[in-house]
Amino acid sequence: MPFGTGLLQGLSVAFRNLLRGPITVQYPDERIELPERARWAVRPKYAEDGAHKCTACMNCVRACPDEILALDFTTREDKTKHIDSLTYEAGACMMCGLCVEVCPFDAIKMSHDYELAVIDANEMLEELLADVDAASVRKERPETPVAGGGTDVG
Amino acid sequence: MSPYLEVLLKALAALGLMLVNGVVLIYMLRKVLGHFHLRLGPMRVGWHGTLQTIADVVKLLTKEDFNPSLTDKALFVVAPFVVFVPSFMAYLALPFHESLKFADLDNGLFYVFGVLAIVPVGVLMAGWASNSKWSLIGGMRATAQQIAYEVPLLLSVLGVVLIAGSLNLAEIVRTQQGLWLGFIPRWYIIPQFPAFVLFLIAGLAELNQTPFDMSEAESELVAGFVNEYSGMKFAFFFLAEFSNSFIISALAATVFFGGWLVPWYPDAPAWLCAMVFLIKTYVGIFVLMWIRGTLPRIRIDQLLAYGWKVLIPASLVWILVTGFVLKAVA
Repeated sequence: MPFGTGLLQGLSVAFRNLLRGPITVQYPDERIELPERARWAVRPKYAEDGAHKCTACMNCVRACPDEILALDFTTREDKTKHIDSLTYEAGACMMCGLCVEVCPFDAIKMSHDYELAVIDANEMLEELLADVDAASVRKERPETPVAGGGTDVG
Repeated sequence: MSPYLEVLLKALAALGLMLVNGVVLIYMLRKVLGHFHLRLGPMRVGWHGTLQTIADVVKLLTKEDFNPSLTDKALFVVAPFVVFVPSFMAYLALPFHESLKFADLDNGLFYVFGVLAIVPVGVLMAGWASNSKWSLIGGMRATAQQIAYEVPLLLSVLGVVLIAGSLNLAEIVRTQQGLWLGFIPRWYIIPQFPAFVLFLIAGLAELNQTPFDMSEAESELVAGFVNEYSGMKFAFFFLAEFSNSFIISALAATVFFGGWLVPWYPDAPAWLCAMVFLIKTYVGIFVLMWIRGTLPRIRIDQLLAYGWKVLIPASLVWILVTGFVLKAVA
């Protein structure tokens, strides 16, 4: 290759880049559509009638590697549970999704809420559920398909 | 009109051109470099960031005029003006049209290079007075580089001067009137192409532009000789720098690209000629920015070796060739 052609090649590459147009996303005005499986802050999931599905089984609390989920509940004499609070510390969450994976009742989800900045650090501690009755285990157990099908396992 | 008033108005017009040009060029630089990097450049202040430079100027004007405690006060304050004033003076010789020039200097080309030669003095003053090692190295580099590259810059246009037989920039433009073979403009870029390449390389070095921005060299010297400067003093350095790119580009347009002449339209009105001249100049500045957005910086020893061992001999040889050819033709 003759001397100096590398410089010209470089210039042509730069010019092609100029014609490609910017790839900047001007964030507050435009947003990138998140992938469907994007994992952001943990949020409770609600049934169609608006009821939450948490049965206070404590699985998510035990699964959380960061120990940022906390569930306070009281068990009544008839064995039903009352959730005092389910707190979640978004600032310490690493969005691993283990709590959602482990939940047997599909009661929480990894939401698409990614704008998590707050002014006051205390606002990082969110109450996902507070002062509600836990959902009944029987009602919330997902229907398991049965081999051969037909028989009611209710 | 009183001659004093006329001179004053001309000086104000030149200053206005310089300031407006600085504002436009800063915006253009940020936009052009941004798009080379697949970015947008300024977008927030005004439509597509058009008012960004004005906001920056207001910021620089309202900043505290700060002098670091261990600087050489007098030199530190004077240096920005020693850089700014020659750049301002160089506008005097630029012809925008036959009827639109600040002064008709018989040695215009010589005068422009003469006043631009003062710039490295100011740069060295700034580097020395700042009392900071980065500034000093930046100032020393700038001086070594600009003195080394002024020689080939001047030599590279001597071929054109030989053909035109004049140092008057307006006269050089006038000799480029007409067409070769009926359709090629008689611009000196065609017979003097090697000289133009030499001029471009030496001009880049003279302007402290990448790949020769040794005196600023962000990655080594932080900001070189402007390290300790802030506020309006800093703005003066940058205004001078942008105005120098305008001057070098305007010189290239005048000497190699027919100045204000509109190709294939010899009877163009004055306003169109001036516009064409500005367009040619701005295309030149775009090329400078294009180079800046592409090429990496070279080392200072490579730079000086290249200047003294390659550019100067090459430009001397080219003058010789031009001279021989002219004699042979005559």
